Amino acid sequence: MRIQRLGAILTVVAIGLAACTGTGSSPSAGGGDGTDCTVAVSWNNFQQPRWAAADEPNIKDAVESAGGTYISADADLSSEQQLTDVSNLIGQGADVLILLAQDQNAVLPALQEAKDSGIPVIAYDRLIEDPDILYITFNNIGVGEAQAAAILEAVPSGNYVLIKGDPGDPNASTFLPQGWDDAGLKEKVDSGDITILNGPEGGSGDWPADYGTYTDAWDTQTAQENMEAIIDAANADDVTIDAILAENDSTALGVVAALESKSYGFPPLSGQDGDPANLNNVALGKQYVDVWKNANELGKAAGQVAIQLCQGTAIEDVEIDIDSSVAPLDGNSPTDFETPGGNTVKSLILQPTPLTAEDLDVVINAGWYAGKEEICNGVTEGDPGYEDCQ
Amino acid sequence: MTAESQRNATPLVDMRDIRVSFGGVHAVDGVSVDLYEGEIVGLVGGNGAGKTTLMKTLSGARPADSGEIYVNGRRAEIENPRDAKAYGIETIYQNLALAENLDAPANVFLGRELTLAIGSLDDSAMENATRDVMGRLNPNFQNFKVPVMSLSGGQRQGVAIARAVQFNAKILIMDEPTAALGPAETAQVRDLVRQLRAEGLGIFLISHDIHDVYDLSDRISVMYHGKIVDTVRKEDVDADAVLGMIILGKRLGEVTSEELAALH
Amino acid sequence: MANVADTAPASGETRSATGWSRLRGLGAATEIDFRLFGMLVALALILLAFNILTDGRFFRPANMVTLIVQAIPVAILATGMVLVIVSRNIDLSVGSLTGIIAMTYAMLMTDWLPNMLGMGADFPMRWLIALAIGIGLGAAVGAIQGFIIAYIGVPSFVVTLGALLSIRGAIWYFSNGAAVTGLDPTFQLIGGGARGSIGEMATWAIGVAGCVAVVAALWNSRRQRQRFGFPVRPMWAEITLGVLGCAAMLGLAAFANGNYLPPGLAAEYAREHGITEPPGGLKVPAGFPLPILLLIGVAVVMAWIATRRRFGRYVYAYGGNPDAAELAGINTRLTILKTFVIMGILAALSAAVVSARLNGATLDIGNSYELYVIAAAVVGGTSFAGGIGTIPGAVLGAFVMQALAYGLSFMGVNSPGQNVVAGIVLILAVAFDTWNRRRATK
Repeated sequence: MRIQRLGAILTVVAIGLAACTGTGSSPSAGGGDGTDCTVAVSWNNFQQPRWAAADEPNIKDAVESAGGTYISADADLSSEQQLTDVSNLIGQGADVLILLAQDQNAVLPALQEAKDSGIPVIAYDRLIEDPDILYITFNNIGVGEAQAAAILEAVPSGNYVLIKGDPGDPNASTFLPQGWDDAGLKEKVDSGDITILNGPEGGSGDWPADYGTYTDAWDTQTAQENMEAIIDAANADDVTIDAILAENDSTALGVVAALESKSYGFPPLSGQDGDPANLNNVALGKQYVDVWKNANELGKAAGQVAIQLCQGTAIEDVEIDIDSSVAPLDGNSPTDFETPGGNTVKSLILQPTPLTAEDLDVVINAGWYAGKEEICNGVTEGDPGYEDCQ
Repeated sequence: MTAESQRNATPLVDMRDIRVSFGGVHAVDGVSVDLYEGEIVGLVGGNGAGKTTLMKTLSGARPADSGEIYVNGRRAEIENPRDAKAYGIETIYQNLALAENLDAPANVFLGRELTLAIGSLDDSAMENATRDVMGRLNPNFQNFKVPVMSLSGGQRQGVAIARAVQFNAKILIMDEPTAALGPAETAQVRDLVRQLRAEGLGIFLISHDIHDVYDLSDRISVMYHGKIVDTVRKEDVDADAVLGMIILGKRLGEVTSEELAALH
Repeated sequence: MANVADTAPASGETRSATGWSRLRGLGAATEIDFRLFGMLVALALILLAFNILTDGRFFRPANMVTLIVQAIPVAILATGMVLVIVSRNIDLSVGSLTGIIAMTYAMLMTDWLPNMLGMGADFPMRWLIALAIGIGLGAAVGAIQGFIIAYIGVPSFVVTLGALLSIRGAIWYFSNGAAVTGLDPTFQLIGGGARGSIGEMATWAIGVAGCVAVVAALWNSRRQRQRFGFPVRPMWAEITLGVLGCAAMLGLAAFANGNYLPPGLAAEYAREHGITEPPGGLKVPAGFPLPILLLIGVAVVMAWIATRRRFGRYVYAYGGNPDAAELAGINTRLTILKTFVIMGILAALSAAVVSARLNGATLDIGNSYELYVIAAAVVGGTSFAGGIGTIPGAVLGAFVMQALAYGLSFMGVNSPGQNVVAGIVLILAVAFDTWNRRRATK
């Protein structure tokens, strides 16, 4: 598998190179003289496979193909370490800082240090509350919306289970459920078309806070144990589970394990991240939809923007050149974004891609770190993903 | 047993020129003592005189740096407690050295458990043997199934002694056997010790309590700063004289009556 | 497990003349371990409380089987943690070790064995090969930790804390951080579920075997004591114990058989056996899931090691008084080393259940297990002072903790609430135990 993965990475790099040479004449990607530009990235947790496999090679490639230098550091989940990392990166001569914040408040001193040194900061994937940054991310509310839209289309009415992530993560408690509402979940609950099985005792409570089950640290085993208890409770009540909204892939994996251990069958289930095991479950028909954030494109966008900022382009004038299916709805230059903290920041908000079994070719052909072999592992005729795996 | 018959027999234990030092301090500095069958030799001396350290070289808890130990006239190599037990040397420690959470049979057989054919512990056989030996030492004892922490001090000392004699010990080292006990229990333990001597064991008795030692011992060796000051036979001295030797570190004849009087 | 007295030399039974005296008289006659009995009562009360709170939906065979299976990974580890804590050490690395072995199983079965060794995607006994390698890995890591602790003298807290960190980090390199799924179908049976259950007849057979074992154990113990003419329990007490033990075994089997196969599998069963399904579906008893049998096996073997083997006796002796053990000529260092080897082997068994249940492995398997395992052991009566703790107690402790987590989850209480309750119960259990012991030794 390691060899396969290395192959996948090489493929990603090759595609990246091809894309860059192909778009060499474009004003945004490369072409300009980025020779003196040092782009620094401060990762918060490089251990998650996604950063090493998708984001980093694309940032690095976008920077280096424009002649710039890429440097980075990993804070290993420590806010304190991240402050040291940022100082070191500035000391190494960073011209632009791409910051994946471990904690949006604890990182503020590092941000100040960068601003004092006249270094533009890109808040990558996670918001930092400061009006001077450029925020590049996927539309997290849009992820929730895409999840719920897909599941609601498959199961317009019936009994739903909501599996949420870590209670301390605003994505889990606020943004994703908000996206579910945007897709019409709340209306259907109010109208009685949909019943939330793991809702508050007695049936009335605050929406969405009291509905669904949280999963500490997005832990797969915890999600499995919770889901088993929910299945038992549903069986005890003689009700069936018709659909499950799981906020991400690690929790969806636990849900699938619970469904398997109970031989419950596989009601439509959502996830997000495009993890190899989950894409495989989509192909096998165990997970209905996986909302995929194509981090290759996110990394590419950040690399392109970093070079332009280094060359002196003003934040509002930068322009990205990425795959149109994920490009921001408001165009390829930053727009204003009102943060929950009341700031207005310039932002580039990319669109997520919902993947059902019919769409697997999209991810298979995108050079995603989960390769075809992993996605199609064990898929046989009759499985929903069989066609795309051919 | 008379002194003459003792002198003619081979000593049970003969320790010669034993030395132990801790980081340059000579805790035991060229000490020689011996012990005969059916005899109790008291080891007395102030704190740090080296009594306990000397006995540790015999029990294997702290091997000697130099010197020789003969058991029944034969040279004995004692490197650890297991070696000592193989020579029939058993020790009853000041702190009892019982596993307080285990019951009496488990303590008596600790490290030497009886097993069944498949290697499982034979608790019934161990309890039986313990009942036998305790019946000899303390016929009233019946608490064979409770952790020894819930026994009285005297009963625990009984368990410790049973452990020593269960394995046909020839030589017994008793370090402060009555230190933790009340008067009635002390009397009980003294009776036990005399009974063991009558059975032919040789016993080294370490004690702070001069009356304990004087009451039980046949001979008394006085230690002072790591050396033997003198070894005397009980019938040759009184308790006061022994006390003088301990405090002043002088041989029996060298302690003057003025000095003795000054101690009072 | 039999509910008869555990013979670990640990219970602080004494003679006291309180209002309990009559009950204690009964206890003395039957030699029931009152501490263990108290825990069973506490567990029953917890289950009863949840049953009332959920209007009777809680106490059903299917739910109880889920609860027990969920508790098993921690329960298996807790049996070893008892020996580690009894001998005055701690093992904080169990969670990480379980995690890395789970990932090892997953990688062996999906990648290393088929690809690297060129054994192809599907070859016989791969689950057994993986299991053997996992157990070997666990024992080896345990031996290394045990050696550093026992022979070099580094405190176990430090050694296992270091291992907790470094092993958790090492897991990442096995799969480059990705979750790995798709294990061998035979291996998955270790995780239980409807397919990994042994069926009605085998369940009854095990119930009867358990009943026979209880009677045989009682009879053997009586015979042993008669051999030397020791006082024996009155005959009525023996019969009471035998009947209770037998009833417990057969009751468990009946209860497990009250758990039916899910409709899909039942239909499959009907097709295979040529039965026409009645309206409303066929009720096929599922019986004991395999992991429960694994736990029973582990608990019986560990209890035997702890109470009937020299090694176990030495572990308790060292815990009660390290000097006494040393002076008795026990090889205390080897004894300590062995406790960590056992812990490693148990981590491999626990990892097998977890990864089989998950049909794969993720980076975070076993996260925080050290805390749950230590909590289970402590709630089960294991004392940090050393020398005190029983295997059945620790298993019951794991059940008590999981009963709370599962019950609250069943009622829809979220994890912050579960953690609050679990923490309070942990403190209350130990506080009660401490108070009870102090009262007993007065």
